[in-house]
Amino acid sequence: MTTAFLDITGAGKRFGAATVLDGVDLSVGKAEFISLLGPSGCGKTTLLRIVAGLMPPDTGKVVLDGDEITRKPPHRRDVGVVFQNYALFPHLTVAENVAFGLKARRAPAAAIAPTVARFLDLVQMGAFADRSVRALSGGQQQRVAVARALAVGPKLLLLDEPFSALDRKLREAMQIDLRRILREVGTTAIFVTHDQDEALTMSDRIAVMHRGGIEQLGTPAEIYHRPATPFALDFVGLSSRLPGKVASEDSGIVHVDTGAGAIRAPGNFISGSAVVLGVRPERIAVGTEGENRIDATLRDVVFQGARVQLHFVAPEGGRLLVEAHEVPPGVAPGVTLPLSWKLADTLLYPATPEGYAA
Amino acid sequence: MSTTRRLDPVLLLALPATLYIAIVYGLPLLFLMGRSLFGTGGLDSFVGFFADPFSWTVLANTLRSAALVTLVCLVIGYPTALVLARAGGFAQAAILVAIILPLSVGVVVKAFAWQIVLRRDGIVSQAMTGLGLWSEPQRLLFTEAGLVIGAANIFVPFMILPIYAVLKLVDPRLGEAAATLGASPIYRFLKVALPLSLPGIVTGVAFVFSMAASMYVIPSLVIGDRFQTLATLTGRSFLFMRNEQLGSTTAVVLLALTVAVVIASASLSRRLGGAQ
Ligand SMILES: Nc1ncnc2c1ncn2[C@@H]1O[C@H](COP(=O)(O)OP(=O)(O)OP(=O)(O)O)[C@@H](O)[C@H]1O
Ligand SMILES: [Mg+2]
Repeated sequence: MTTAFLDITGAGKRFGAATVLDGVDLSVGKAEFISLLGPSGCGKTTLLRIVAGLMPPDTGKVVLDGDEITRKPPHRRDVGVVFQNYALFPHLTVAENVAFGLKARRAPAAAIAPTVARFLDLVQMGAFADRSVRALSGGQQQRVAVARALAVGPKLLLLDEPFSALDRKLREAMQIDLRRILREVGTTAIFVTHDQDEALTMSDRIAVMHRGGIEQLGTPAEIYHRPATPFALDFVGLSSRLPGKVASEDSGIVHVDTGAGAIRAPGNFISGSAVVLGVRPERIAVGTEGENRIDATLRDVVFQGARVQLHFVAPEGGRLLVEAHEVPPGVAPGVTLPLSWKLADTLLYPATPEGYAA
Repeated sequence: MSTTRRLDPVLLLALPATLYIAIVYGLPLLFLMGRSLFGTGGLDSFVGFFADPFSWTVLANTLRSAALVTLVCLVIGYPTALVLARAGGFAQAAILVAIILPLSVGVVVKAFAWQIVLRRDGIVSQAMTGLGLWSEPQRLLFTEAGLVIGAANIFVPFMILPIYAVLKLVDPRLGEAAATLGASPIYRFLKVALPLSLPGIVTGVAFVFSMAASMYVIPSLVIGDRFQTLATLTGRSFLFMRNEQLGSTTAVVLLALTVAVVIASASLSRRLGGAQ
């Protein structure tokens, strides 16, 4: 990508014997919203701290807007951060918190009050300007933290799991609000989360992180429909998995023997290699319409409001998950049913032990 | 929902301390104040005290030496507290021991050690003349500078520890947040760490000032009779001059002074630091 606004190349970090970041490359375009999605301990915060200048990387470099900033101290980077615990200044009011960065950068005194008012209005906290920040709820503190970070007009905004302390309803409202605000201001943002729904909802692109590296970088649709690795398949969305062995390969279509029957999938694998098949739950149906068919035994029915999840088991360790609007009539755990899906919806991965452990 | 206003039983835990302070401290203090106000001289003794120019010298000595000791402790203690709060694990434990252990050495022992350091051919004098800062060897012993150096040495832990206790509770992410907002290290210190540590500074200043204003043993050992403070004058009045009226008067003036400084510094910090 030649138009990258932020370019991270080969970022590495070790703590003692543990490699926390293993040569991460990431390019972010201007005004883009990128999520770092990954399980706890995969290095998301570490990567963010390196970009913010709060921690030096052992290797690699960070270029922002054509400027190499790898060794620049944080206060000269123009990179804003919204911390997980918000880190508001407890001795200042809401308005003083938002004004802090402007004063530190010696903005003209006459410009400070209008800017503060504008950003407080943007996050709908105008009525709280003179309150102490200690008297605010979690969601309100979160809004102030966003306003404070944006008020100085940073080139890049980093957000480290900013919604993780909020309840689900507030969280969903804040997700929509934050996207609206960032679009209005036109700020480039990197958003850390370990919540896949949050990443899928908000992002222009998602970087799926695993063990100190980026496993896949792509749009939410790419990540969801074409997960590049078994880890991405597992971590983003629920899915079915069937272990098997490649029987033959013919012009991009692979025939796989699974314990429950023969399956065809798009891919290029040598005959005899061990593979894992994956299918997204909403792509499987009870019935025989698709090219791939299998008989599986219903194990559990999980009611989820708008949908039901049907958990099936197939012979030789296959797990299949079907999402439907309702339980088909006469179906109860223990029955064996035919399941089917399209050839094009079949995902194929080499069967690495690591992929399974993920 | 109970509407009866019963005493919180937890308050009973304060009973031993309350009794102890009332008997050992409160009663004698009341007695002393009563004697100074309603004794033979009554209020006249205060009028007499303030009419005497020597009293003003004593008052100035007390305030100046205590203020200097407090200042020295603050200047030395604040950076130490900052380092202590940032240090981790072993370094922190080592510094804490280094600060607290000297408290177990008595003042008298320390005073003799200072004689070695502060006399005319002592280490300080030799170093200063060696560096060319002093043209000839000088004696710090038996001077007010020597007193301030010595007293600060003893009281500095009482400045470091309360500031450290407050700084340790300040979220390190606040400094990081300030940095990402564009604040330089100095700006961060002045606008974040310093205001948030004000309660610790106030406690430290109140501790050190009240101890320095009322110190008796240290000036007696380091300077002697030529330098009188309210505390040494009080001691002399009771012990040598048998002038209990003067002694209780100076004691009450000293008490009023210390209480005033503590209250003033607390209200000052509240004004500086917002609603802490
Ligand atoms: N200062 C440090 N010293 C030693 N190890 C550290 C340090 N900071 C982070 N680590 C380790 O580095 C790994 C990655 O940490 P990091 O905070 O980046 O994870 P994360 O992806 O943000 O996880 P989470 O979702 O739980 O916040 C963890 O195993 C952590 O224990
Ligand atoms: Mg983290």
